[in-house]
Amino acid sequence: MDSARWSRMQALFHESADLPREQQQSFLRSACGQDQALLSDVLGMLDEDARRSLLDSNVAEVADRVLRDTAPRFQEVGRYRILGMLGEGGMGVVYLAYRDDLGHRVAIKVLRDAWLSAPRRERFASEQRTLAQLNHPSIAQIYDADTLPDGTPWFAMEYVEGVPLSEYCARRNATIEERLRIFRDACEAVRHAHLHAVIHRDLKPSNILVRADGGVRLLDFGIAKQLDNFDTGSDQTRTGLRLMTPAYAAPEQIRGERVGVYTDVYALGVILYELLAKRLPFDLSNKTPGEAEIMITQQEPAKPCGVADLDVLCLTAMHKAPERRYASVEGLIRDVDHYLNGEALEAQPDTLGYRAGKFVRRNRRRVIAAAAVFILIIAVVAFFTARLAIARNAALAEANRTQRIQRFMLNLFEGGDAEAGPAESLRVIDLLDRGVLDAQALKNEPAVQAELYQTLGTIYHKLGKFERADALLQSGLDERRRVFGVDSAESADSLVALGLLRLDQERLPEAERLEREAVAMARRHAPADSPAVEKATVALGHALEERGASIDAIQLLEEPVRSNSSAGITPDAASSLNELASAHFYAGHYKIADAMFRRVLDMHRQLYGNRHPSVGDDLINLGAVQFDLGYFSEAETFQRQALEINLPYYGPNHPQTAHNLIGLGRALVMEKRFDEAVTLLQQALKIQERVYGPVSRQVASAANELASTALGRNQLDEAEAGFSRMLAIYRAVYSNGHYLIGIALSNLASVSMQRKDFAHAEQLYREALQAYAKTLPAEHINVGITNIKLGRALLRQQKYVEAELHSLQGYTILSKQANPSVGWLKNARTDLGEIYDALHQPDKARRFRAELAE
Amino acid sequence: MQAEHSERGDLNYLFSVTYEELRRLASTVKRHDGSITLNPTALVNEAWLKLASSPAFTTTSPLHFKRIAARAMRQVLVEAARRRNSDKRGGDQASALITFDEALAPLDCRRELLLLDTALTDLARIEPRQAMLVESRFFGGLEIDEIAELLDVSRATIIRDWRAAKAWLAHELRR
Repeated sequence: MDSARWSRMQALFHESADLPREQQQSFLRSACGQDQALLSDVLGMLDEDARRSLLDSNVAEVADRVLRDTAPRFQEVGRYRILGMLGEGGMGVVYLAYRDDLGHRVAIKVLRDAWLSAPRRERFASEQRTLAQLNHPSIAQIYDADTLPDGTPWFAMEYVEGVPLSEYCARRNATIEERLRIFRDACEAVRHAHLHAVIHRDLKPSNILVRADGGVRLLDFGIAKQLDNFDTGSDQTRTGLRLMTPAYAAPEQIRGERVGVYTDVYALGVILYELLAKRLPFDLSNKTPGEAEIMITQQEPAKPCGVADLDVLCLTAMHKAPERRYASVEGLIRDVDHYLNGEALEAQPDTLGYRAGKFVRRNRRRVIAAAAVFILIIAVVAFFTARLAIARNAALAEANRTQRIQRFMLNLFEGGDAEAGPAESLRVIDLLDRGVLDAQALKNEPAVQAELYQTLGTIYHKLGKFERADALLQSGLDERRRVFGVDSAESADSLVALGLLRLDQERLPEAERLEREAVAMARRHAPADSPAVEKATVALGHALEERGASIDAIQLLEEPVRSNSSAGITPDAASSLNELASAHFYAGHYKIADAMFRRVLDMHRQLYGNRHPSVGDDLINLGAVQFDLGYFSEAETFQRQALEINLPYYGPNHPQTAHNLIGLGRALVMEKRFDEAVTLLQQALKIQERVYGPVSRQVASAANELASTALGRNQLDEAEAGFSRMLAIYRAVYSNGHYLIGIALSNLASVSMQRKDFAHAEQLYREALQAYAKTLPAEHINVGITNIKLGRALLRQQKYVEAELHSLQGYTILSKQANPSVGWLKNARTDLGEIYDALHQPDKARRFRAELAE
Repeated sequence: MQAEHSERGDLNYLFSVTYEELRRLASTVKRHDGSITLNPTALVNEAWLKLASSPAFTTTSPLHFKRIAARAMRQVLVEAARRRNSDKRGGDQASALITFDEALAPLDCRRELLLLDTALTDLARIEPRQAMLVESRFFGGLEIDEIAELLDVSRATIIRDWRAAKAWLAHELRR
């Protein structure tokens, strides 16, 4: 049925609906003519109009019937005889059962909502058998596990008659010591499980039962992991998508990162907190998930009970950063014992205030496609809610899809203003989680499923959740290989995405390999100037740049840019030009980069208007170019313009804002406006530390700027500390050497120069040059400047011959590039004048001095 | 810090919340109690009351909330129906010896719901607004006037379109 037909049907329906019956028939017969199908359809409609149908009922009735748990009137499950129902929890229903050959009662938990597909059933059963081997007096034994014919899993476990931990302690008004002893028992159980590589992941008081005899039993070990597997079909160690009460959830769980032994430690910490303080550390009732996330990941809980050692114990276990907690439950137990024995604890109080949990996210240098994330998210939302409709229309062109998405968004959101800000990551994560769940459900549409995986994977990538992204992109690639073939345009597309992820995961050689494969494959299936080939090419160009092979990148990228120049102003054209501009920038071709970035800015303004984040990115890039060309006040102007866009868009605590602040700060430093600069740079440093962690490139970059400022003000100790930190970070991050290490060394040497420790400075400059030699072209401006600096250090030590060598080299390199009035060229000329004087070559000395005077 | 983020973004959260609420609710229905009826409309109102006071929602209209909740509701029901429908497969599996008490839970309802979902999706392809009407009305319990406001058409148009859609969909269900 199509739109025209439906209109016709409706028209006929409405015309005839209120006629008397006999007239209906005759009217329709003549109206429909030969079209029997139409006649029968409309008659059918009229029939239904006269009757009651599903749509006339209250959806409540429907919901009731559909959602109501058809709690089976079990007779038996496997070899177990059901005696009755014990209760219901979030996960499913628990029955009391009996097994004749065992001779005692068991509890059977049926996980009603966790539905397994056929291939997963055996997996589940065997995993449960592993869990059944977990044998400890304090762990509720799992006896058996299997699935019902429809895939619903069930477990048979030890039937524990007991009361949840907190209730038990409350009822008896237990003393602190008693509470600690019971808590310790629970910890022992967890420790045992950890020895068997089983993480609980969902520890909470209701999972810890205490029997009348005081014995502790832990329930539901490893079940959380099973649930994760049900929901996503992946075997990743991560949190499930339940919007559960996050009261006991660790920061890494909330953020959807890898969990480990330390996650259980955290939960134990919260449980202990509750036992000591008789309330939870965070009051999450009535908070939105966004607020809850902030509280759990950033807010410091109040001290639980005022007893110093207990406070330390508790808060150590609950530290936001996993590496700051007890490394194992064993450590926690030891300290509990220490306390009970009146000894000192091993844990140290955290005197440096709170630290938010860190996740290492690699910033894609200066180009973050924030806008692209939003569009992708929109695509996912539309996908999710209208999935099959869009999916079946495989031939739907991009433009068409965007229109639908826009309409959908307009329907959902008030105003339909396309300038909405970026989505909160937690909400996005919720939506994404749901998207993952849906991807699974599209098993019958593997092409669609693969696409959804890919989109989701890309979004996770941009949000910095690399592990999830990895799993999804891999799944997407596997699906596509299956559906379209290992060598196909679609597989090439997946390879591109995976390669880009590898870049941010710092697996550069692999990234390059994937991108090369992708480009070759794309070329086999599409013409050289097609978007697919271009996309792959640009990605490869990016990989080459990251490796430092800027020249190669330039060569590669010139072609797509050339072919784009006739295509006009499109996002893809802007994107490839941007990439090429970056390549030129890193190769040190600043004038070219400048021209290109200006063009990109122009294109983005035309495409998106003046306040779009892409325009913000471009302005930052231009600021960077001006800076490296030595035009500091122009740099400042661009950075300020960028900040006007970025600050409102990202907010004051976002890494992109930090990036911008640093750019602006640097320019101000060079203009000697130190106080202004320092304020901005310190702001930026704080943001970067919090977002990326203390050992990260971004922090190194910020530290560099602050140290430079200190240097400019002759605060030498501070400068040295800052540069040393920067150097240490880069060394840690770049095991293979990188020109940034050279920059750090060179900067550090500047401090030595100020201190007149010229020998030390010489050594550092030489090291710097070595670092550059590995990764920069020989005529790069940094190489030139460092040679000049080395020359000066040698000059000061009166090593004239060597000094001449390097100063001249630096001079030569620089004079091919910068405007001759730039500082370093002047320095070189001055130094060379002195050198040649000392070497008794007055002609040369005069020549260089003369140039100075110009 | 959170203040400047668009409240529209929170509608995603809303979707999730409603979805999860219903799922949670589903698991707390006590079979042997028998008398408890799920009232999704009441639930939606409840969720709205809970959320409306949070600062992020001050500029979201209840109408849009309901609209999204309707969609979420549809999602939940369809998925639940789909899952439970798989119970029907294979007939009598002797080994597990589980008997489901089916007499009290008419499976027709589930099957009908799934057919409705498909038919509604088909309708959405040619007349998305009409499909939205049905979704909002049936799954979300929105009133005629509310839908008229949502779609910015007259009451009369809604009544007409609803009648036609209902007739056709019911017809599809019977095929």
